[in-house]
Amino acid sequence: MSPLHFSFYSAFTFSSLGLAFHRTHLISALLCLESMMLSMFIPLSIWPVENQTPSFALVPILMLAFSTCEAGTGLAMLVASARTHGSDHLHNLNLLQC
Amino acid sequence: MNPHAKLICTVSLIMGTSITISSNHWILAWTGLEINTLAIIPLISKSHHPRAIEATIKYFLTQSTASALILFSSMTNAWSTGQWDITQLNHPTSCLMLTMAIAIKLGLVPFHFWFPEVLQGSSLITALLLSTLMKLPPITLLLLTSQSLNTTLLTLLAIASTLIGGWMGLNQTQTRKILAFSSISHLGWMIMIISYNPQLTILTFILYTIMTSTVFLSLAQIKVLKLSTMLISWTKTPMLNATVMLTLLSLAGLPPLTGFMPKWLIIQELTKQEMTPMATIITMLSLLSLFFYLRLAYHSTITLPPNSSNHMKLWRTNKTLNTPTAILTALSTTLLPLSPLIITML
Repeated sequence: MSPLHFSFYSAFTFSSLGLAFHRTHLISALLCLESMMLSMFIPLSIWPVENQTPSFALVPILMLAFSTCEAGTGLAMLVASARTHGSDHLHNLNLLQC
Repeated sequence: MNPHAKLICTVSLIMGTSITISSNHWILAWTGLEINTLAIIPLISKSHHPRAIEATIKYFLTQSTASALILFSSMTNAWSTGQWDITQLNHPTSCLMLTMAIAIKLGLVPFHFWFPEVLQGSSLITALLLSTLMKLPPITLLLLTSQSLNTTLLTLLAIASTLIGGWMGLNQTQTRKILAFSSISHLGWMIMIISYNPQLTILTFILYTIMTSTVFLSLAQIKVLKLSTMLISWTKTPMLNATVMLTLLSLAGLPPLTGFMPKWLIIQELTKQEMTPMATIITMLSLLSLFFYLRLAYHSTITLPPNSSNHMKLWRTNKTLNTPTAILTALSTTLLPLSPLIITML
């Protein structure tokens, strides 16, 4: 595995571990989600350079556009949770338990 | 909700689903999944109730994680094999990660924890969309990649889903949570057979969609959200309660009704593939879900006057004719005699 491949593999893995082990705030989960998307952006950008396929050059922009929409939605949910639950603490999200 | 916003959300849902199920490239499949997630979030949270917002947050976090994992698994496969085609997913790590990502998207065990809570926090029609339409793109991706995926892992996920779906549904009194667990166990049946005969997965999914839509639409018409409301709903539309009973027994998989067809064909295919112990295990585990379907059927139709309950009853207030519910009810109870035709068309 080349150093480049290893770097984006480990960046994604650590971001997803951060998402899985978030404890107090919703915003830290959203940050980890964004860093997962960023670690996806780098290899998608390098692919057309390495493989000389210019037709693939627009794909990282598309990915970035959708992940930004998703980030915006996440922030809207943060504001909504601050409105209804008072804060973004994750242990306040317990209204729907079995 | 604002009619323009509702139109945009509905059209985006249809567009996102169409994009994913008709795609050959992983990026387009991921795009469709993201459009679906973004479009259904306003629909879940439209009532601005704290429970709805909580359901939306849980749905958003799980689905975004799963989409990112799908993108990452396709990326790893592309960097190793140079292929972005969906049917050519060959790298073993990518296959494993894709299976886990689709399990998160569908709500298979052990990633099922978000599903009952999200269904509980949304209205009945949104819950219907979450159970049927939102399951179509991930199942399509699984069908396209089913040859490369690990059979043992899929079988384990299927049996665990049927077990947990049946077992955890036993103690529920809210109908949306009961239907969530029924959805989890039906997904277990679908995943069981996907490596051997993917067309049976398509058949099971179509019949499950018809039956679940019937139940959700009927419950939405009589506005039944918990078991105690179901006990007194016979006064609103008596015929609908009788058909709800038949549809629930059809979901349980009882023989003269449609729900028996997928279970019978799956057991037959598993036996042909020398997997008889698995067939026996999964059949016994669906007896657990039979119990809570039967309890719902008792509450809707079988306990009637003179065994009256202590609740106040509403007399015949809803008299609207609902054609889609009628058509779906007919389909979900009487389709079994057509099974030779359906089998030859598979």
